[in-house]
Amino acid sequence: MATEDVVPHVQAKFFTRQEQYSIPDNPYSIPASITAKELNNIIYSVLNEGKTANSFIEFDFLIHGEFLRTSLETHLEEKNVSSEAVIEIEYVERQAAPRPETSLAHDDWVSCVRGSNSLILCGCYDNTLKLWSRDGKCLTTISGHLAPVKCVEWIPSNGGSTADRMFISGSQDQTLLVWCWKESQKAVDCLYACKGHAGSVDCAAVNTDGARIVTGSWDKMVKLWSLVDGLTVEEEEGERTKKKLKSSGKSVSTRVPLVTLSGHKEAVSSVTWLDGSTICTSSWDHTLRVWDMTRSEQTQIVEGSKAFFSIAYSPLSKLILSASADKHVRLHDLRTKEMKSTYTSHTGLVSSVDWSKVNEHLFISGSHDMLMKLWDTRSPKAPLYNLIGQDDKILAVDWSIPELMLSGGADNQLKIFNYELRKKMK
Amino acid sequence: MASRVSMVSTKLKQATNGKRTLDLDGEEKEEQQLMMKNHVDDVDDSDDSEDSDDETADENEDSSSQDEVYEEEDETSEDSESEDEQPEKKDDEPEKHVDEYEYDSSDEEDVRNTIGNIPIEWYNDYSHIGYDVEGRKLLKPEHGDALDEFLQKADDPNYWRTVVNKMTGQKVVLSDADIETIQRIQASKHPAGSEGLYEPWVDFFSNEVMNMPVTGRPPDKRSFIPSKWEKQRVGQMVHALKMGWMKPRGEIRKMKLAQDPNAPSLDLWKEDAEPEITKRYRMHIPAPKEPLPGHAESFNPPEEYLLDAEEEAKWNDQEPEDRRMNFKPQKFSSYRTVPKYGLFINERFSRLLDLYLAARQRKMKMNVNPEDLIPKRPDKKDLQPYPTKEGMVYKGHTDMIRSISPDPSGQWLVSGSDDSTLKLWEVSTGRCMKTFKMEDKVTYVAWNPNPAINLVAAVVGSDVIIINPGLVDKLVCSNTDNTLNNFEDSGESSKSVVVWSSYDVEEKDKGFRIKVSHTTAIVQFTWHNKGDYFATVQKDGNKSHAVLIHQLSKRQTQAPFSKPKGLVQRVSFHPLHPYFFVATQQHIRIYNLVKQELHKKLQANCKFISSIDVHPGGDNVIIGSYDSRLCWFDLDLSTKPYQTLKYHKKALRQVAYHKHYPLFASASDDGSVIVSHGKVYSDQLLNPLIVTVKVLRGHKTANHLSVLDCKFHPTQPWVFSSGADSTIRLYV
Repeated sequence: MATEDVVPHVQAKFFTRQEQYSIPDNPYSIPASITAKELNNIIYSVLNEGKTANSFIEFDFLIHGEFLRTSLETHLEEKNVSSEAVIEIEYVERQAAPRPETSLAHDDWVSCVRGSNSLILCGCYDNTLKLWSRDGKCLTTISGHLAPVKCVEWIPSNGGSTADRMFISGSQDQTLLVWCWKESQKAVDCLYACKGHAGSVDCAAVNTDGARIVTGSWDKMVKLWSLVDGLTVEEEEGERTKKKLKSSGKSVSTRVPLVTLSGHKEAVSSVTWLDGSTICTSSWDHTLRVWDMTRSEQTQIVEGSKAFFSIAYSPLSKLILSASADKHVRLHDLRTKEMKSTYTSHTGLVSSVDWSKVNEHLFISGSHDMLMKLWDTRSPKAPLYNLIGQDDKILAVDWSIPELMLSGGADNQLKIFNYELRKKMK
Repeated sequence: MASRVSMVSTKLKQATNGKRTLDLDGEEKEEQQLMMKNHVDDVDDSDDSEDSDDETADENEDSSSQDEVYEEEDETSEDSESEDEQPEKKDDEPEKHVDEYEYDSSDEEDVRNTIGNIPIEWYNDYSHIGYDVEGRKLLKPEHGDALDEFLQKADDPNYWRTVVNKMTGQKVVLSDADIETIQRIQASKHPAGSEGLYEPWVDFFSNEVMNMPVTGRPPDKRSFIPSKWEKQRVGQMVHALKMGWMKPRGEIRKMKLAQDPNAPSLDLWKEDAEPEITKRYRMHIPAPKEPLPGHAESFNPPEEYLLDAEEEAKWNDQEPEDRRMNFKPQKFSSYRTVPKYGLFINERFSRLLDLYLAARQRKMKMNVNPEDLIPKRPDKKDLQPYPTKEGMVYKGHTDMIRSISPDPSGQWLVSGSDDSTLKLWEVSTGRCMKTFKMEDKVTYVAWNPNPAINLVAAVVGSDVIIINPGLVDKLVCSNTDNTLNNFEDSGESSKSVVVWSSYDVEEKDKGFRIKVSHTTAIVQFTWHNKGDYFATVQKDGNKSHAVLIHQLSKRQTQAPFSKPKGLVQRVSFHPLHPYFFVATQQHIRIYNLVKQELHKKLQANCKFISSIDVHPGGDNVIIGSYDSRLCWFDLDLSTKPYQTLKYHKKALRQVAYHKHYPLFASASDDGSVIVSHGKVYSDQLLNPLIVTVKVLRGHKTANHLSVLDCKFHPTQPWVFSSGADSTIRLYV
């Protein structure tokens, strides 16, 4: 590289964790004003030395744990890194942009969405649930709730027959219904009605073995329910009440909560399992609380400054994402109780966030500004991609299926974005 | 004159000497002195040295230059006592008595008798009468016999005034003045006569400047005698010198020199102490600088600096100290023609006077940051949370939304619009959950503040319609309906001013429950905090039923004011106590509903009250007015506003307090909702802290109306506003 001596140069080493793109470990002298695009050219030329030209692969460059988005100089200044020493630059293959795949029309606002393997489940404001296949076919429309559905969740099937999939749905009618999708019959059965909340059931979470459900409600309570049949004490006949469901006309057994956790001073907006025995809840009272479910007590409280609308926990990075009333997405580390970073780009309230299930760095957020954004935790200033498609407020996003990003909103649409996975991600 | 004074003093001294020698009694002494004075007066222009000679001449004069003045005088005094001797003396040497001072006898030898103070009778038997200075005998003068005496008495016209000086034995002819003196003494008068008593006043210590500094004060006695204490002191010093305790100056110097000059100094403070001179340099305050000359001072100033006639007249009229300039600008054609500056000396002098008289002071410069002078306002960041940004827009109405109200839990919001609908919204998503179609424009909506009662009141024209909107906990809904259904009509309603009526089943399914029909249009509706009572204000505000208080559970209505004072604009219940706020155009009256009396009357400094809200603590009230003012009343402080905020440009439509957070908001026709921090301290001594924190804009103006209502979220620091642009906005 012919460089002019007038321009300040820095010494840099490139390395990657993706072995197929590795280059020799030589320090390079590069101009300080270089940007990611020019770095890409360098990598490309080094990779293709003595070979026939491959297809141009775009890389992103990580310097001290953050993506290079400006010139190298300003990046180093912001990070307070000396430009004297040799800078280690990691490069990773740039994520390709998610492709909008399909748009699934609903009759009313889509308030919640969850994907699982090949199925996509939506809850709507017209009191129905819709079950879609992955390729956009409406498998069934389930009515059973008396009020808008606020949350849906799949129950993981542990090794059993994959044909029958169970899921739950919470609604403003204060109930949580447990459903079973029978693949063979293409029909849905309502198994249980979980009653006990005195407000709309806004969130629910199932633990990994599929035996416990936690729900949070507008009535400030967090309740724990059991799914395991015939084992728990509360399933006594006397406590069950029969209920006629409009749709099926079948009677379903009613369940009562195992445990009720009170502590939040305002509505519980989101709940998630951290591991088999602890949950984290977020609330409008500006707090995150961690509860130990075996002892049924609160173990930790994290004070925020705004009401929390949604949280998401990633078992990969062990971090909590929160969406609150002020357009920012925040990253919390519950182990250190500190807020790690703030992701600011949305112009409307952020209604929902979700982690990638396979990449510890990636997450998506949906906002009332009609945008879904794909973020990398290492790039707090700008998202990787803005996913445009929704024509009204986004109310729910989901990334349960690693290849599909789902968003549902007030334009009655469920948008599906296809996201190609890299073969090898570390 | 000075010489004369000194003369007198010497003479007097001599006189005292004379007295001593003569051993006269006190009376005689006095006489003598005074007579001496007379003498002195006669002798005018002779100095001290001559003076003494004169005296001797005096004496020599009539008795062969042996006399002394005092002796002579003495003689006269004796004379006066022994008049018998007089005739003998008179014959003696009459010609001698012509003038005592006709010649100067200073060069003659002194023939003074030196026998001293012994009786002269001892020399009666001798031919001499005594001895002169050189020891020669002084022979007695020739004395005639009795015949001679007699003849003399006959012949000599001066015989009667001739006396014999006993010391010399000579005859002395008394002068006229002596005679006079004697006569005065005999007549018991002052021997010196009146002229001696009343001497002309000599103003020695006058304000007039004299050539020589003088004082007429005779030296003190102590100036003559050696001081006893000085003597003692000297004695001590001598002793000290002897003992070696004290050393003469020269010896000390020698000792100092003998000391090692390089010996370490024991003066600890020497280093620190500044020499006087440097201290003066350091504390030097430079003289203030004179302003530099401007164009007006130039010898050839531009025209505009020259005084025109009017200015010049003004300049002349003014007192010198009032003048803007102390000179008149003048124009000269060239530098050569500039005359000497006439005021140069004056100016220098006044400058020096200034420097001298005007005390120069070292001014301590205060480095005051101007921001420190501004009263301390808390940082906005410390006042968080408060709404900052628009978070949500609730769209669905087709006409202006006059009123909104959130439910007590903060999940729902009800809005009443001019499109004759009442809508229920989900706060968190902006979803319209229900729409109630009304017969007319919905002018007022209010969600029952009691969480256990799920009711919404809507004002449609002259009716209050109570609706059970569902949505919330089913148990609450059913309980609410039960309490409403439990009412049994007692039939008393006939005399009431309003009509309570229930809806039929079909309407009930939709949610409508009760209708309270008034006679005229309702301006305002408000719930009591417990949710059972509500108050309405009717349009004809000055009639007896302008303000009505209704009880929901008993379906009763009462008109608490037989005749309200003024046009009632707004009413409000006190959140804690049975007080009732009635706002007329310019006053707020607080009534005690239990005692049924006026509790307090607040004076709003505004023309037309548009809205009122009571702080949840109950001790503070804010009102908004159509003349764009917001007044905060602290009921504990006074009946006048504690603070008046005039930050809106147009009429205020609504004011609201937050239930939990120290926030209040005001909505105005200028399209803004202004959120202020208003902290009320539980400490009685602290006044509320009011800081405006945020101006929220978003609503568009339509028909000169913009924001019509604003309400706080019951639990979050969020504010809702509804506007004429048929939207509701949530600021988070």
